Amino acid sequence: MKARIPLTVLAAGLMSVAGYAALFIAPDERTMHEIQRIFYFHLGCWSAMFTALTITFVANIGWLLTRRPQWDWLSVSGAEVGVASCTAGLITGVLWGKPAWGIWWTWDARLTTCFVLWLLYVSYLILRGLIEDPGRRATLSAVFGIFAFLDAPLVYVSNRLWRTQHPAPVLLGGANSGLDPTMGRVLMISVSAMLTMMLIVLADRYRLERLRHELDELRVAGETRPGELVSALAKAPRN
Amino acid sequence: MKNFQFLFAAWMAVWAVFFIYQVSVSTRISRLRDEIDRLKQPLREN
Amino acid sequence: MSTARAAAILLEKELRLEFRTRELLNATIVFALVVVVLFSFSFDPTSAESRRIGPGLLWIAFLFSGSLMLHPSFGREQANQTLDALRMAPISPFALLLGKMLANFLFLSAAEIVLIPVFAVLYNVSVLAVAGRFAVVLILGTLGLCATGTVLSVIAAHARMRELLLPLLLLPILTPLLIAAVEATASLLAPQPGLERGWLALLAGFDIVFLTASWLLSDFLLEE
Repeated sequence: MKARIPLTVLAAGLMSVAGYAALFIAPDERTMHEIQRIFYFHLGCWSAMFTALTITFVANIGWLLTRRPQWDWLSVSGAEVGVASCTAGLITGVLWGKPAWGIWWTWDARLTTCFVLWLLYVSYLILRGLIEDPGRRATLSAVFGIFAFLDAPLVYVSNRLWRTQHPAPVLLGGANSGLDPTMGRVLMISVSAMLTMMLIVLADRYRLERLRHELDELRVAGETRPGELVSALAKAPRN
Repeated sequence: MKNFQFLFAAWMAVWAVFFIYQVSVSTRISRLRDEIDRLKQPLREN
Repeated sequence: MSTARAAAILLEKELRLEFRTRELLNATIVFALVVVVLFSFSFDPTSAESRRIGPGLLWIAFLFSGSLMLHPSFGREQANQTLDALRMAPISPFALLLGKMLANFLFLSAAEIVLIPVFAVLYNVSVLAVAGRFAVVLILGTLGLCATGTVLSVIAAHARMRELLLPLLLLPILTPLLIAAVEATASLLAPQPGLERGWLALLAGFDIVFLTASWLLSDFLLEE
């Protein structure tokens, strides 16, 4: 893919701009001062994760309805990148909690949903690893993937309801209400940067899956007849 | 800057997670590429 | 044959099969008892502390024994290869699923009925006073557990390491159900019993979402 290098440069550029903006341009927050700036990365991770997992959800449905392997490649790519973004989101959440509130972890709605989603999609990836037949793997993991995605809003709601009965410091509530316009702009830059980075990594992962498929086809063709191998090679894409 | 180490750690963590993942994907891609080329080799020689 | 009728016939088959040996039921009840008693050793059952943790432990006991019971329930079909015969029968895939779900629901409920008096004694709580509302919470919670658990046991049955995989898949999915059930139970067993409508709505919502999803996806789940 010829566009890879300029895209990577774009992603690196956006991330650097976002980093600079988050650290130096964004105004100082009244109560938490510097540590609040993690908010820009944390929300970026959250958006990247949500987008990646939505892509997986759509791809799951796509596979079940059309049975075209491209949807399955997209599912696994979205899930892996989603787990990576989720990991980054959890780490930034923890690193914010400790200096801001003195505790490493708090069961607030966003962090809890993040954590449960991490567990769900890691399980999704483990499930895929344990089924050999590609068609069955795609179908069964798609069903589980749909279940997992439907579960997420329920987790969020259950946590919010629980919080009304067991109130605790809210990590992000203060920042969301009435955002300073400069903060808003920095936030937009951060989120776009992280989304771009996520999409680039996802595209690469998709390419990996496509290559794997190509390899399997070559192997199968090689085991049958040389003539078929030649025609398989003739069909294989150049890059 | 108060708590700067946490902020820096968070920034580095985000970079590291994506960077490590990207590197792992790229390594797997090049390994697959080599494998595919290896399979195509005997045919080119024919 | 209509889905309901097919499911009812399958349910009857499950029940008859199970009551011949009662092995699944006995194992489930004993395991749940072990969990509850073991937990009560870790905490002093007479203190106010353990009264607070009680509802959580009760539902964890149900969750663990439920998820362990689900695998053998489907595994039996695979071992005896009766699954193919069922697939070829002129019934909708959802009927097959529904029959299994209801059977699992009844088995787990039987285990719960045995367990709750034991729990009430060990943790010094009065269940009879709130029996009606408690039953509603139990039914909604167990239904959600068995609905999702049955679907996931079908998925896990096709993979390696299925005994480990099923709890791994099931327990994160059940997070909202666990929270709602525990909170509802805790508020019912508190000195001033009350039941937040939100928890009931959440439990019912969970059941509806996953039963509907199971119905929509049942064809894919049970295909060859």
